[in-house]
This record gives sequence, structure tokens and C-alpha cells, in this order.
Amino acid sequence: MTNDPLKALNKKLKDNWTQYLLAVISIAVFIAAWHLYAAYLHENDSGYQGYIPYPLDVAEALVDSFRYEDPNLGLTMFDHIAASLERILLGFVIAIVIAVPLGLLMGTFRKADAVGRPIVELIRPIPPLAWIPIFIVVLGMLWGPVAIVALGIFFPVLLNVMFGVRSVEPTLMDAAKTLGANRSQMFLKVVLPFTTPYLMTGVKVGLGIGWMCIVAAEMVGNYGGGVGYFIKDTADVGAFEYMYAGMIVIGLLGILTTGVAGLIEGRLSRWMGMK
Amino acid sequence: MDGHEVNPCIDIQDLFKTFVKGRKEVRALANFSLAVPDAQFVCLLGPSGCGKTTVLRILAGLETKSGGMVKVKGREVSRAGSDRGMVFQEFALFPWRTVRKNIEFGLEIRNMPETERRKLSSKYIDLVGLGGFEDAHPKELSGGMKQRVGIARALANEPAVLLMDEPFGSLDAQTRNLMQKELLRIWSATRKTILFVTHSVDEAVFLADRIVVMTARPGKVREDIAVDLPRPRDRTSSDFISVRGRVLAELDEEFEKARAKELSPD
Ligand SMILES: Nc1ncnc2c1ncn2[C@@H]1O[C@H](COP(=O)(O)OP(=O)(O)OP(=O)(O)O)[C@@H](O)[C@H]1O
Ligand SMILES: [Mg+2]
Repeated sequence: MTNDPLKALNKKLKDNWTQYLLAVISIAVFIAAWHLYAAYLHENDSGYQGYIPYPLDVAEALVDSFRYEDPNLGLTMFDHIAASLERILLGFVIAIVIAVPLGLLMGTFRKADAVGRPIVELIRPIPPLAWIPIFIVVLGMLWGPVAIVALGIFFPVLLNVMFGVRSVEPTLMDAAKTLGANRSQMFLKVVLPFTTPYLMTGVKVGLGIGWMCIVAAEMVGNYGGGVGYFIKDTADVGAFEYMYAGMIVIGLLGILTTGVAGLIEGRLSRWMGMK
Repeated sequence: MDGHEVNPCIDIQDLFKTFVKGRKEVRALANFSLAVPDAQFVCLLGPSGCGKTTVLRILAGLETKSGGMVKVKGREVSRAGSDRGMVFQEFALFPWRTVRKNIEFGLEIRNMPETERRKLSSKYIDLVGLGGFEDAHPKELSGGMKQRVGIARALANEPAVLLMDEPFGSLDAQTRNLMQKELLRIWSATRKTILFVTHSVDEAVFLADRIVVMTARPGKVREDIAVDLPRPRDRTSSDFISVRGRVLAELDEEFEKARAKELSPD
């Protein structure tokens, strides 16, 4: 409507401001409601008050979890986060190393798709967690959980890469051909760059799933700490404010990783001139 | 101009093309013959679906022929190659490459050293009037600017012929007129042989040395019309209007035939 860039910028800043304000208000209202509910349970001595601690107590537990080692394993929250991050990172690398070439292959060649597709469709619907028992036994305490994360990240990456390869515009391939490109040059200079933003979308989705996988995997066994293990362990001994603190850490880490992946995705697409 | 030159740049004789889709066969071209001498600007006109794009794609090596002979610069066409440049209606620019990198695509393919590449791309950036836009990405450009990139990219490979498939088809009227003038300027600077497909009779009469009107599918040459008007051409001159009228009449007749055929399929 308006062509004045200054006006447009002002409007954008204002929009952002209201957005931030609303976000802060929404979170504040949520915490206030939580506090009131906890107070209500405590005052009536309902017997449930232990399950719903005051937000302030959870905040204190959150800070303490970083400052002090837990009595059980002797680990701080930093150690737990490091343990979970290590598993996610290893799983991520393994998933990428296998899913990207496979996705390129299955996206490019009908035969490869015909061979790979049935297996993919067979394994994909199985929740990665269903593999925990066998993976832990066969792969052990480190690589078992890593394999579960890898499995969770694998499919969104594979499918997005395949989709990216299939989405390459035929006229771009024609253009490359008329400019003298051979098959391998068309793959390197057209298919690969075209597929990169799709890969990043797969990575973003995969990392979200990866966090769910690792927390759940850590809750059913102790492989040497991890935030999921922290949640399970503190709940078992009835330290619910610590349990909630662990859940908040997971939530924040999830937002952080997918946020960073999303940022990279956006930057990359823009840098590549595709968005 | 009657197509019997000694050494035509483009030499097509009795070209056949039948598309086979499952059990269905579409005869796109039959007995299509055309000879174009060096540096001539030929416009290809014809009813929709008559095989214009197919002719260009076979010349470019993007499509195989079903029969006949297709030669460019005396060499039988068998596959795509950098001696034939193509300009697409949808521009077909690489969105992740800047203007300069788009233009250098064919040069990279040939492993030309960077300094040489730069020199050549700069030359064509200047030629098509893209100075100052070297580092822009295609999405930042208007349609007319995009097609300048498309033309420069094809020219940078220094092909013998330029194949253009409705290159200005998606541009607005003003931009289209401007690009027509620009193309004539570029053509007189490079003296390429140009085969230019269009649906616009006006565009064809403004641009071409020679207008080839095709029959309805299966396409062949219906009429070969020399346009001997001096350039720059005046669209309002009586000569221009009379040539336009002649081409239009030919086209209308073929269009009616195509429609009749559509209504009673064989
Ligand atoms: N790959 C293909 N498979 C099957 N049929 C095709 C294929 N390409 C073109 N055809 C058919 O061949 C005929 C000629 O197509 P072509 O695209 O060459 O026509 P055109 O003259 O360029 O049409 P337009 O003016 O609409 O661009 C059409 O009937 C079209 O449907
Ligand atoms: Mg066409």
C-alpha cells in the first residue's frame, strides 16, 4: 500500500513489538495461572500439591540443577545436556551420511527407488523407540541410543532429499544440457544445488524428531545420564520441581536446535537466491 | 532465400517426429524442411500444437527425431551441444546463481579459466545491458531483465545458432517491444543465425528477415515469406501492415483447419 520504506520499516518494527509483547504476556499469564493453581492445591492440602510445585520452586530447581551434582550419578545439568547432545550429534551425522546419498540415488534412479521404497515404507511407520530393546542389546549403551536418534532423523532427511531431486525443474535440466553439461555436470551443478534447501528442511524436521527420540530413549534406561534420564530419575524419587526443570531444559534445547536449523535453512535459501 | 543455399547454417530435410505415449501416437512433424543461411533471422509461426517447440528441441538436441535429416553447420545433430544456444520462455535461469554466474555456466562446464570466464561474461553482460546487475539473483530481476540473462547465457557459449522459443511470451507489451529492439541490436552486433518461435504476427514482422508459417499438426512448412522491410521497422507503415495482413491470413486459415480437425478427430 505504502511505498515509503521508512513507514514500512516502522510498521514492521511495530508489528514485531506487538508480537513480542503478546508473547511475553501469554507466558506471564500461563505462569500466573500455574502459580494460582499450585497455591490452590497447597491451601486445600489436596494431596496433589507435590505434583504441581510452585513455578518459583521449579525455577530454583532449574538453577540448582546446573550448580550442583545430582546425588544419584554425580552429574550436573551441564553433564546431562552434554550427554544428550552427544547422542543427537552422533545420530545426526550417521543419519545424514546414509540418508543424503540414498535420497539422491532413489530420487534420481527409478530402479533404486523401486528397490529401496518397499523397505523404507516397511520401516518408516515403526516408531524409532520400538527399536530400543534390540538396539541396546546389540549396539550397546552408546551406539544403541545413537542408532535410535539416527533412525528418527533418517526418514525426514531421506524423503526430503528424494522430493528435492524429483522437484528439479525439467527446463533447468534442458538449459544445462543446451549449455553443454554432461550427466555428471548436471547432477553436480543443477540437481545438488536445487536439492540443498530441501535437505535443510529435512534436517530441521529430523532434529525435532531426534530430540523426542533421545529423551524417550534415555527414560527407559541409564546409559550414563542425559536430560531424559534426569527427568525419569527425579520423578522416581518424587523431586517433581526438578523433573519440571528437566522438561523445561528439553523444551528450550528443542527450540534452540530446530531454531538454529531453521535459521541456517533460511539464510542458505536466501544466500542461494531461492526464497 | 528459397532455402537452396550451398551451405545453410541450419539444414532440415523431411523431418518427422512422432511422440509415442503408451499406445497413443502423436504425429507432431511430417516432412518438415527448412534451410536457413548464416546470420538470418527466421521467425517460426503456426497454430498452437503444430510442432514449433518440437523443431527447436530437435535442433537443440533435447529431443530425438523420428526421421529425416537435421544438420547445423554441416554437422548432423545427435545430442545437445554448446554450438546451439537455446533461450526459453520460462527463462530457465539457475535461481541459486547470480546473473554473472548464470552467464558463466556454459564456460564453467568447459573448464574455462576464471579470468577468461570473467572477461567473456563481462562482455555479454555489457552487450545485453545488464551492467550493475552482475551480483543480483534472478528472483530480484524483472521479466525483461531475466530474459536478458537468458540471452547472454546462451550467447556466452558463442553458439552458431540461437534457438528462441517464445522468449518474450510472458512479458508485458511495453517490455516486449523494448526487448524486440534490444534483440535486433544484439543480433546485428553478433550476427547469429536466429530461429525464433512466436505466436505474435506483429513480433514476427517486426523482427524477421523471413517468416515461416507452419501447417497444423503434423507440422510442415506451409508458407515461406520474405520480409524485405528496412530496419528499424515502423509498425504503422503501410508496408508493415500489408505484410502483417498476409501472414495473418495464412495463419488464420491454418488455425481454422486445426480447429476443424480438433472437432472431428481422426
Ligand atoms: N513429450 C511429448 N510427449 C507427447 N507429446 C508431445 C510431447 N511434446 C509435444 N507433444 C505433442 O506434439 C505436438 C507438438 O508440440 P509442440 O510443443 O512442438 O507444439 P508448439 O507448436 O510448440 O505448440 P505451442 O504453440 O502451444 O507452443 C503437440 O500436439 C504436443 O501435444
Ligand atoms: Mg511451443
